[in-house]
Parts: sequence; C-alpha cells; structure tokens
Amino acid sequence: MPLCVLEDVKKTYRIGEDEVEVLKGINLQVERGEFIAIMGPSGSGKTTLMNIIGCLDIPSSGRYILADKEVTHLSDDELSVLRNEHIGFVFQNFYLLPYATVLENVLLPTLYMEHSKNGLARKRAREILELVGLSDRAKFKPNQLSGGQQQRVAIARALINNPDLILADEPTGQLDSKTAGEIMDLLAKMNEQGKTVAVITHDAGTAAYARKTLRIRDGLIVD
Amino acid sequence: MRRIYLNLMIAIRSLYSFKLRTGLAVLGVFLGTFSLILVSNLSASLTRKGEMEIEKLGRDLLVVRSGTIRRFGGASRLLSEATTLTMADAAAIAEGAPSVLDVSPSSHRTFPVRYERNVLASILVTGVTSNYPNLRNFHVKEGSFFTVQDDEGLSRVAVLGRKVAEKLFGDSDPLGRNILIWRVPCRVVGVMEEKGVDLSNVDQDNQIFVPVNTFLRRFVNKNYISTIYVQSAGSASTSAAKRQIESILRERHSIRQGKRDDFTVIDAKDVAALKSQATSMITILGRVAAGISFLIGAIGILSIMILIVNERRLEIGIRRAVGSRSRDIITQFLVESSFISLMGGAVGVLLGFLVTVVVFKVSRLPFTISPEGFIISFVASVGTGVLAGIYPSRKAMSIQPVDIIRS
Ligand SMILES: Nc1ncnc2c1ncn2[C@@H]1O[C@H](COP(=O)(O)OP(=O)(O)OP(=O)(O)O)[C@@H](O)[C@H]1O
Ligand SMILES: [Mg+2]
Repeated sequence: MPLCVLEDVKKTYRIGEDEVEVLKGINLQVERGEFIAIMGPSGSGKTTLMNIIGCLDIPSSGRYILADKEVTHLSDDELSVLRNEHIGFVFQNFYLLPYATVLENVLLPTLYMEHSKNGLARKRAREILELVGLSDRAKFKPNQLSGGQQQRVAIARALINNPDLILADEPTGQLDSKTAGEIMDLLAKMNEQGKTVAVITHDAGTAAYARKTLRIRDGLIVD
Repeated sequence: MRRIYLNLMIAIRSLYSFKLRTGLAVLGVFLGTFSLILVSNLSASLTRKGEMEIEKLGRDLLVVRSGTIRRFGGASRLLSEATTLTMADAAAIAEGAPSVLDVSPSSHRTFPVRYERNVLASILVTGVTSNYPNLRNFHVKEGSFFTVQDDEGLSRVAVLGRKVAEKLFGDSDPLGRNILIWRVPCRVVGVMEEKGVDLSNVDQDNQIFVPVNTFLRRFVNKNYISTIYVQSAGSASTSAAKRQIESILRERHSIRQGKRDDFTVIDAKDVAALKSQATSMITILGRVAAGISFLIGAIGILSIMILIVNERRLEIGIRRAVGSRSRDIITQFLVESSFISLMGGAVGVLLGFLVTVVVFKVSRLPFTISPEGFIISFVASVGTGVLAGIYPSRKAMSIQPVDIIRS
C-alpha cells in the first residue's frame, strides 16, 4: 500500500456566490521512500494540493488515504494528531517562532506528541541539528540566522517527530541558487536515508533533485 | 510539565515585547491582592487587639452604669442621667447576686490639679474602692494603693496615673508629696502602671484615683455614684450575673414591669462585639475594593490577551500545523493569562505583606498574619487569569493553519 493515495480529489472554494474549483480530480500515489516533485505554474493549485496531502485541509470530494488511514472525514483535532505523527512541513517562508531559540523551534512538534520524554526529545533535537549542520546555533534566535540556516532549522523541525513524509512547499523560493542547492542536497540526503520527500515548486532546477516529477495545470495532473 | 515550561519560556519572551501593556494589565491584579492581603492582615490584627483589650479589661468584668446608655459606633453616649445608683446598691449586689464575686463602686469628675507651680486644668479624678486594682487587673507600680481604712476614714490620699505623675512631677519622686485636687490637699501614696486606652476610649493613665467615700464627701458632696465594676464568678457566669444585677437593681429602684431601667449593665463582650463590627466594616470595604481591582485586572488581562493572540496568529498557525490540537492552544493561552495574573498577584502579596509590617510597626498593632488572605489572593489571581483568558483562547483556537500559511 502506498504512503499516500489520492482518488479523484476535488477542492472547491466559495467566494460569495461563486464556486471556484481549484483541484478538479487529482489521482496520485506516493510510495514510501520516493522523492517526488510537483511542478506547475502559479495558481495551478500546488499549495492547495499540498495542504490536502499534508492534512492541513480536507478534500471537497474524493478520497485521501495517508498511511492506511482514511483522512477524508476526520475532525480538526484528529487531523492535528495525524500531522504530528506523519508529516514534517517545510515552508517557503520558514515559519519559525521569532522569540523562540533554534532548539525550541526544533522541539515544537514534540510538545504535541504522545508519550514524549524530555531527555529523549532534547537529545534527538541535538542529533538532528548536528545532521543539518547547525549544532553550534542551538541557542540562536531565527533573526540571527541566514535564510539558508533558517530553512535548515525548519527541516530539523520537520524531522524531529520522525515523520513518514516530508512535505516542502517552495522550500527554495526565498533563497539564492547556491543556498537553494544546499537545501535541496539536504532533502536528497534525507531521502537517501529513507524518508519520503515531496517538493512542490515551479522551479525546474529545484524539481531536478527529485527522482520523479509530476506536473499540475489548472487543478489536474497532466502527465 | 516540560510542555508548560517550554511554552511559558516562549510566552515570556513574546510578552517581553509588550512590557508596558502587560505591566498595566498586571496592575489591577496587583492592587487586588495588595488590598486583600493588607485588609485581611489588618483585620486579623484588629481582632487580636480586641481580644487583648478584653483580656486587659478583665474577661469576667461587668460594668453597671447609672442612667441609660446608647452606643453609636464605637462611642457610648449617656442618654439620660440618673441619681439613683448608690453605694448601698453596690453592697446589695455583692450580697444578693450569687454569680458575683466582688464589686467596686466608683464615681468620677474632672478637676484642676496642682503641685507647687504646676497646674493641670482638667484631670479625671475617679473615686474607687481599695479592691479596684484587682478587679480591673490594673496595678500600682510605685508605692501602694489606698486601703479599706483610708476609704472608711475619708483619708485625703491619691494614687496617680502614669501620665499625671509625669506631668506633675517630671523626673522627681511623687510619693509622699502633697498635691491639691480642686481645693482638697491630698498625699500621693502610689503611682499606677501604664495601661493605655481602654475599650471605652478613656486613657487610663491620665487620671487620679482617690478613695470613693473621700470623693463623694469631700469632692462632690453627693451620695450617688456613676459606676459599679462587678467581677463575676468566671466568664461562664457573666450572663447569669447580669440578670441577677438587673433584677436586684430594678427591685431596689422600684422600677415596675415594662418601665425602662435607670441603669445599664455592660459586659466586656458587648463592647468587643461593637469593636469587631467596625473591624468587619473595614474587611468588607477592603474586599469590595479588592473585587473591583480584580475586575479591572481581568479586563486588562483580557485586552492584552486579545492583543497577544492577534500578534501571534502566525505562531498559532505554525503550532497547529505541527500538531497542536485546539485544546492544546486553549490550555496554552489559559496558562499564559493565569501566569500574567499570578505575576501581579505575587507582587501584590509581597508588597501587601511589607506594607502591613510597616503599618503594624507604626500603629503598634499586634503582628498578625492571616493565612486566609494568602489563600484567597492566590485563588483570586489564578481565577482572574483563567476567566480573562477564556475568550482570547477561544479566539486563538479558531485560527486555522491553512489561512495563516497561505497568506
Ligand atoms: N481560501 C481560498 N479561497 C478562495 N480561493 C482560493 C483559496 N485558496 C486558494 N485559492 C485559489 O486557488 C487557486 C490555487 O491556489 P494555490 O495557492 O493552490 O496555487 P499555487 O499553485 O500554490 O500558486 P503559487 O505558485 O503562486 O503558490 C488560486 O487561484 C487561488 O486564488
Ligand atoms: Mg503556492
């Protein structure tokens, strides 16, 4: 069974009287251990799709199954638990807490884990910071770091709960091409170590790191 | 525990960016706990002082006053004077009331007093019997009190209150000297110990005692008295003693059924009850003030929390994205608002405590701490924080990660 199965997923938004169909029937499977890129022009529905794959939102119709669990009809809080256990997010704007230290930011998802143990969580956070090359920055605040370093913190945060899927929406959008390359190298390294990675981007250079590329246009996967 | 700690560390740093507004929000709770602590310590101390005064007055003491007495607030006022209370009444009470151990009839008036060139224009002169010191638990410090023989023989002797002795004699020894009370020369035989103001607000140290018979014959030339101090046979029998005294006096004064007494019997507890009424007024007013402060504090915290929730929409979105459930968010903000409130509470308790210590020192009240005040302060602080946090944390809960992450 693949990690993610989307069957005829549609998403419509209501704006006043009008209904806008953003996703028009997505069929998609992501196998464990894959590294895929989802490409498409601006407004094609990439972020909308990522929100559904990442359990931040639910489809208007169709089915979504994540790690053998039917997501389609879950409540808000059930979705939270699912995200906490299965998904690690990396965003274009990093989205770190500005008044928390690097270490605290990395620890954030562990606050909402079941059965977490303080010593273990901290130890793991330090190991992961080592892995992303920031062990000497644990006490820094995000605004004392470069963009690339901030994105590494975000990746560390995405890894802390040992998720099944790392979901990155335009992870290189705010970075120069050299730094972008380093971030993508890091994600590729995670994939080599067995993590499933999905990157959403409209940049072909970024997509090139993935082992498989899907194209989305006007709410449909085109090849 | 670790979660609360980490969340609080993050919250404190974010609060730090609203120092002034957080400070203002904390002010209300601060004032609330401050007045709570102050008032409860103060009223505990006043109650203690009242008890000490009853002790000083004599727990088993009853006072029979001539005339009808009404009390307004703390002060008693003579409504009608009577000339019917006599030495014979006192003797009859001592004889006829089984619950009475001892009596001391007494009368008083103010007179000018002179020693050599030293003149005091108006000093309370009280005629009492020789058992008065025992009855009132008020003893001679130097020399001796006058005797039964002094009283019976109408001796011209006087015992001075501490302050009178100081005013008339300064540092020199008053014993054996002759002073002039009105036109009567009296020999000083003793000086009383320091006693202070009693429950009826009379300064016990600013008076002169003379034998009551001497007083009646040589000073006022009357045969009626104003007061009889009565010692009952233990505090359990004061009410019995009171009833017995009343029936003896009504009979002796030929007061028929339904007619008003021409005397009043007061016991120490009556006076103390009045005092504690005044104390409980202070307590009630203080609690009202504290309540209003807590209300203001709650409104302050409510507004700062709404502000904080708005400023931290992104944080809430991120937390939701990485797995916090709505109840985690609610708990987080309730803990934060109680924390803000508790900070104010802690400062209020500390300052309230310091100020009570100063007040006790300055007004010489007995040092008493009311544990009740601390408990109420703690509960009220946390309660204010939680109540004020409910609405903002519900607002925080409604923030959806998709809305935050998209923008
Ligand atoms: N909450 C919403 N309400 C209404 N319309 C929305 C909402 N969210 C997205 N849309 C619309 O859905 C379409 C797809 O948006 P989406 O963010 O998925 O595009 P995208 O592919 O991620 O674009 P970009 O590359 O610019 O990030 C857009 O036309 C957008 O206006
Ligand atoms: Mg997008």
